[in-house]
Formats: sequence, structure tokens, C-alpha cells
Amino acid sequence: MRASLSFATLRHHPARTLLAIAGIAVAAALLLDMVMLATGMTDSFRSLLLVRGYQLRVAPKGTLPFDSEATIEGADRIVATLRSMNNIVAVSPVLGASITLPDNPLSSTFAIGIEPRVQGDYAVESGADLDPGAPLRVHAQGLSTRSLGSQVISAVVSSRFLERSRHAIGDTITIAAGIDAQLREVRTSRRVVIRGVARFHYVPDETPVMAISLGELRALLGNNYRDRVSLVMAQVATNDSTSVESARLQIAEAIPKVTAISTETAIRQVEERLSYFRQLAFVLGAISLSMGFLLVSTILAMSVNERRGEIAVMRAIGVQRTSVLGMVMLESVSLAAVGTVTGMLLGVLTARWLNTILGDFPGLPPSFEFFVWSATATARSMALLLVAGVLAGIIPAWNAASMPVVHALREEAVG
Amino acid sequence: MIVRPHLCVRLIALLLCAGRTVGAQPPADSSLAMSFGRRPPDVRGVAVDARMAADLALGIGSTFRLSSTPDGLPETVVVAAIFEPRADPAEISRTAYRVRLHLDHLQQLTGSVDRVDRFALRVNSANRQAGIGSAALVDSAIARVNHVAFGFRAYRSSDIAVQSSRTFLVVERFHRAIGVITVVASAVFLLCLLLLTVEERRRQIAALRLMGISSTTIIRGIVFEAALVSLLGSLIGVGIGWTASALVNWHYQAVYRTPLAFALITPGIVAFAAGLSLCLGTLAGAIAAWRLVRQPPLQLLGR
Amino acid sequence: MTAIIECQNVSRTYQVGSSKVEALRNVTLSVERGAFLAITGPSGGGKSTLLHLLGAVDSPSAGRVLINGRDTSEMSEAESTRFRLNNIGFVFQRFYLMQTLTASENIELPMSEAGVGKKERRARAMELLQYVGLAGRASHRPAQLSGGEQQRVAVARALANNPSLILADEPTGELDESTGLDLLELFSRLNRDGATLVFVSHDPLVARAAREVVALRNGQISSSGAKATSGLT
Repeated sequence: MRASLSFATLRHHPARTLLAIAGIAVAAALLLDMVMLATGMTDSFRSLLLVRGYQLRVAPKGTLPFDSEATIEGADRIVATLRSMNNIVAVSPVLGASITLPDNPLSSTFAIGIEPRVQGDYAVESGADLDPGAPLRVHAQGLSTRSLGSQVISAVVSSRFLERSRHAIGDTITIAAGIDAQLREVRTSRRVVIRGVARFHYVPDETPVMAISLGELRALLGNNYRDRVSLVMAQVATNDSTSVESARLQIAEAIPKVTAISTETAIRQVEERLSYFRQLAFVLGAISLSMGFLLVSTILAMSVNERRGEIAVMRAIGVQRTSVLGMVMLESVSLAAVGTVTGMLLGVLTARWLNTILGDFPGLPPSFEFFVWSATATARSMALLLVAGVLAGIIPAWNAASMPVVHALREEAVG
Repeated sequence: MIVRPHLCVRLIALLLCAGRTVGAQPPADSSLAMSFGRRPPDVRGVAVDARMAADLALGIGSTFRLSSTPDGLPETVVVAAIFEPRADPAEISRTAYRVRLHLDHLQQLTGSVDRVDRFALRVNSANRQAGIGSAALVDSAIARVNHVAFGFRAYRSSDIAVQSSRTFLVVERFHRAIGVITVVASAVFLLCLLLLTVEERRRQIAALRLMGISSTTIIRGIVFEAALVSLLGSLIGVGIGWTASALVNWHYQAVYRTPLAFALITPGIVAFAAGLSLCLGTLAGAIAAWRLVRQPPLQLLGR
Repeated sequence: MTAIIECQNVSRTYQVGSSKVEALRNVTLSVERGAFLAITGPSGGGKSTLLHLLGAVDSPSAGRVLINGRDTSEMSEAESTRFRLNNIGFVFQRFYLMQTLTASENIELPMSEAGVGKKERRARAMELLQYVGLAGRASHRPAQLSGGEQQRVAVARALANNPSLILADEPTGELDESTGLDLLELFSRLNRDGATLVFVSHDPLVARAAREVVALRNGQISSSGAKATSGLT
């Protein structure tokens, strides 16, 4: 009966109820989006880092992976040291550099040199991958070598590369490095056949990129890069944070001239750089909660005020305070509940819209997302709003239940 | 003093000194002066950013050791100047220190002899021919450079700026989207409140109608009231916004150690916000009033 | 006959701003079971105040009000509410039906609060609607009923939990003469069926319908007594 009265009261003022629900829904949507934003970046980045299972990154001392053009010298020895560690099951060295494409609409491209067997940088989408047996080091014949033999090497490229270079899988192109602007010559060049198209996890979609074997890239770049890499990725045998941290410390001790970064450290550092979004999420989330709270409490306060006579009569005919309290609270919770559920659906849509906007950030890996839906985030938002709805109803409900009956009856009689 | 490698010292070569230098004026024979054609001094001068100077307790005349790699051969340098970093939004989240050296010094230190990252060119306006604008001159220069270029390209500075400001365009769009959402939420909230406020006075309105006051007069009165409340609310809101903006700037300038202003309140923004809230409030009042006056007076009285 | 209500030197004083208003002064009254009492008097005489005290809605500033032998000033808020629910039926001048509920649901409201099951209270509501002559209006909302019909529903609601006492505050105040007479006829029938009725009214028609009349002026009883004749004739 009390429930019927509460719902009937809400139905009796459809415009007001619908507007209240709409207001709560928008607040709920914004709150969900902000909770998703606060947690999504971390979750997305973690998934990105762990896409191929590598929990550790070894970068030049004091830098983040690919944060600068710095490289690690003595890379082969470092890779061997890492491979000899008991708790490390896979090691993937990566060298990144810019190379040129002579006589091509795409004049230069970003290239990564990898070991196909253990690479963790891309996933082939069409065509074929590089030969897993590609050598780590190709013996070049000194700096003056213009073309490293007639053998054509394989490459895997991004779809953007194909688009800008106007090539397709199976085409053969020339890549080069070491431009001598005065002689208008390249120092070294190579013929490359495009074997496949891949999605590169850590390179933005808009950046053309090519992957060739590490040895071939080193040979192309010249003697300076013979024993260098930009980054080494390492996979620890057991995936718990203690083992990963232990491995990180072991690396730091064994190889002091590099910086070993665990996934968690990397996430922390990225979070620091993107802290603005977390702070914005917190502020906007708090504002939307407050709005939801204010809306419910205002509507209920005014609704109770309108029904002073009715409520006084209910008390006069013997309806207990707790019953009146319960009725008003039920109205409050109902508004909050319906508004919250509607808002969750709206929030998913607005999150996709906002994600599309933020996805245009230059230099962002393709699979990185700012807004990641999770059951936890949704449950958390819903719980927050429902609690806010309950709290918002307390004061009006208490006022209704505590209304001095005689005074109210007298006012209504006079009014 | 050795600069520890893990502090991420980044070496940037300059042809021209940009940015403001603070601290004591360097002496006339500053080791940061142009050194073309002269033998460089034994201990060369560098300029460090104010953050680095504060964190490492460096002052003019302080010396430290610099190397291009963690295990490379370090070189002793002297602080010849301390500069404030530019209020560049692209740089605020970077924690790396900035050090400025003469080009030849950096080339020698890094072993990158005869290498630069880029050139900046200024077109000579004295050669401007009658009727040809500077834009055309720049385009012409770019075309000529690219024609002879091998391994490099020339770009307009403004095009580079557009590319590098993409980040902020995205942030701007994001802020605008959030703004749209909050405006929608505020509009709904406002409409709800005004609806309730007006409905609370249904008996008053019924009495007025029974007395013969026209619907138009009643609507006008309610709309005026709504507009007044909206205007007062806008003024308070502008005050709150100004305070919040000051707090945001104070906080983030401290966090990122930058003079950059993160939030700006301009007359245009104030006018837009006040105008929008006035329009929304007035509209909400009009809708609420219209809903009520179209009901017969007796119905308003519950008969 | 046993007294269902006993007022012993009851006074009620209100604080209005900085001054005190003595709404009732040393009122002593006894209402027998089965009585049909009208409390009359000019506006501001304390009639409604007395009714509120008799209904355990308010407590006296001095004196005692005993209803069915229970001192209302010794009851807690919850106890007096419970007491009203089970023992007293109220009818108000402005009906005060819940606009969002149907006629039947309005009657069921006190029964629901008393914990009566759904089927039972629905049956009782229909029975009461039949009693007041509105059997066909069960599913109508108050806005769809005339003033007289609304007041009849309010009477039916007052009877929902079989109260031993029915209190009515200006029950015909919002009704025209003809409808008011119909309502008074209903009340008379209730009284003949055993209900104890206490009315407050300045309407002479109500006074004529009652068997006893108490006149209240300036917070004191100015006259009281049984009428030579009772009813509306």
C-alpha cells in the first residue's frame, strides 16, 4: 500500500517525475563516464603493455621506452644476460629508427627491427609474418656499402604504410639509411618485399611503420648501430607482482646502465602524465553526484511541501512516522534507481562519443582507450548514485514524518 | 658535480637563445656568447632551466659535469644563465630538465659532428618585390628548398604549429563535449526546479485568473521572475567560475611548475555563460508558466 | 452508559510569536459511548483545538484527556498514532483524500497500516463503499468525485478499522445544503448503528442533527446539554 502510494505520487506528476529522471540520468551518465575515465586509462594501458605477455621493459638509463632517440649500447650482451636469468622466459630486443624510401611518395617511415620469433610489437592481420630464422646480425661490408647484396629481405608493414606508399602485399620497394645531402646519395639501401600487414600495438595508426629483422635494420643503419637496441622487452615466468618486481631489481643490479620498468611502474608514470584526466574525472564525478543529490532532494522537498495536508491527515488517521518516512524514501530511491539505470545506458553511449574525441590524440597507440567499460565501474557508479538518492531523500522524508500534525492541519484549514 | 644520468638531462642545441633568462646578468665575456671564429674557452658555459637550477641548487657560476650517455666521458660545464621555460602547453607534463648549449658544443659532446635536427629560416623581407606578399615569398622559399632537398624537407612554421597543437585541439573538443553534457544536465535541472516552483503557486495563479488577469500577463510575470533568478544565478556562477579558475591555475602551476595559465576567463566566456543561463532559465520559466496557464483555473484549485 | 471520552480540566495554550494564546481553558467534558455530540461556537472559540485533543492528535497543556480509559498525555508519539489508527476515525472539512489513490485505495489506507491483508481490506473497502452508497465508484479518483461523494469516501475511510469513536471537523463545511443534509443523514445512520460521533461545526444543521450540543466560546464551555429532539427532523 505504501509502495502504491509512493509510485502513485510519482505517476501523478508525470512531467516532474520524467524531468527528475532525466536529470538524474544525465548526472548518472556523466558519473559513469568519469568513473570509466578514471579507471579506463590504467586498464587500457595495462592491457596494451601486456598484450604479448612482456611485463618488463629495459630502456636506456633514465628514459621511458621510445621516449627519446637514445639507444642501449652493448645490447647483445645485455640480451644474453637477460636470457640467462632463471626467472625470465622470453626476451625481445627492439630497435627503432627512421629510414627513407627513395623515389616513393612516402619519403620516410618509422622502422622497427625485431626478432620475429619473440617479437611483441605487432599482430599480423593479413599476409605472412617475417621469417622466424632471420639473423640477429648481418655482416655489412663497411660504411661505404651502398647496397647490402642482392638478396631481398622481408618486411611487415602497417596499413597506413601501404596507403601512403601506394603499395600492396607482395610489392618490392627500396629502403635506405644514411643520407649524404652533398653527394645526394644514401649510404646503404636494401630491397624489401612486403610480406604482410600488421596491427602495431604501440605505434599510432596514423604513423606509417615497417618491421624488419633486427639484424637487417642494424646493417642498414650502419656500424654505429651494430650492437644497439632502443628497448628490450622481458617476460617473467610467473606473472605475480612480486616476481616481476624481483626480476626488475635483479636486472637493475646486474645491468646498471639501463632502466628496467615494470608494467606497474610504466602505468604509474603514464598516470602521472595523464593525471589531469583523473583529476578532471574526480571533479566532474563529484559535481554530477552533487547534482543528482540536489535534484532528488529538491524535488522531494517540494513534493512533501505540496502534500503537507495529505501527510498531516495520514498521521492524524494513524499512519506511523516510519511509514511516512518509508513512503517518501521509496519515492527518492525510485527516482534515483530509474534515473541511474537510464543513466548507465546513456553513459555507455556518451563514453563512446567522448572516447572517439580523445582517440584523436596524436601519438596514441591504436588500442589505447580512455573510457573502458567494466562491470565494476558501472556497479560503483550505480551504488554511488543510489546512496546519494537515499541520502537526498532523508531530510525531506524526515521533515514529512516529523511534521507537527496539528500545525499542518491548522495551516491547511486556514489556507 | 656530476649530473646523475637518471635525472634525464636533455641536451638541446640552439642557434639563437629563446626564452627569458633570469638570475644575475652574465659577465660581458660570457662563455655563452657567440663563439664563431674564436677558440672556445676551456670550461664552456651552458644555460639551465629554472627547475633544474632549483632542484640541483645551481646558480650562475656553478659547475657540473655533462655527458651524452650514462657511461660516456663527462665534461665540466659552468652555468652561465638560468632561464624560465616557455609557457608551452606541450611541455608541461614533461619532467625532463632543459639545458641549452652552443651548437658546436653539443655536436662535439654527442659526437654528431655536422648534424642538426632542423633549421629555422626567416625570409628576407627586404627582397620583397612590389605586389608580392610575405606568404607568397615563404611559399616560394619552401618550394626552392624542397626542390634541392635531399633527405630533408621544408615546412611552414604555422603548419608545424597546427600539427603540434593537435593535442590541444583534441583537449578543446573534449572540454566542449563535457560542457555540452553539463549544459544539458543543468537545463534539465533548471526546468525541473522552475516547474516545481511555478506549480507550487498554482492556487495563486488560479486566483489571478479568476480575477480576470490575462494568461499573457501571468506568463510575463513568471518569465520575468525566472529571468531575474537566472541573471542572479549567472552572476553568482561567474563568481564561482572565476574562483574555481584561479584555484585551478594556482594548483596546476604549482604541480607542473609552469607559468602557463590553464583556465582563462575572458569577457566573451562570461557573456556566453551568462547569456546561455539566462536563455535557459527564461525558457524554462516560460514552459512552466505556459503549462500552468493552459489549465482551467478551477482545475488549478483542484475542483 | 460508559464514558468513552473524559476531559478533566483541560487547557491548551499555544505560543504564537512572543505571545501566548489560550485556546482552551479548564474544559471538562464527558462523552458517553454511542453519543452524537456537536461542539458548536464562533470561529476561534477553540472547537478544533478541543477536537484535536479528543482525537489524541494533540496533548493538553493542563488537565487530562482519557479515551477508552487511556490518558492521551501519557502516550508516546508512536502510541498515540497507533491508538488513533485502531480507535478513532477522522473526517475533515476538506476531505483530505489522497489524490493519487482511488476511492477504494483511500479506504484501504488505514487498514493497510493496521496490517490487514490485501484481500480482506479490499472486501472491507467495498463493503464500506456500499454502506456510504458509492459501490460503483470504487476505482474513481477523488478528482472524479463530487464534493459530497469525496466526503462519503472520507467517512468510509474513517470507519475502516472499526473505530470506537468518530471525530469530524466541520464535515459539511465544503458542501452545499442538500449534500450536507445527505451526509448528516449518513452520520445519523452510523450513530443509530452504534457509532459514537463527536462533531465540530458552526453549522446549525449539524447542531440540529446531533443529540447533544456543547457550545464553546473563548476556549470555555458556555453551554451544554442534550437536545429535546435529535436528528434532522
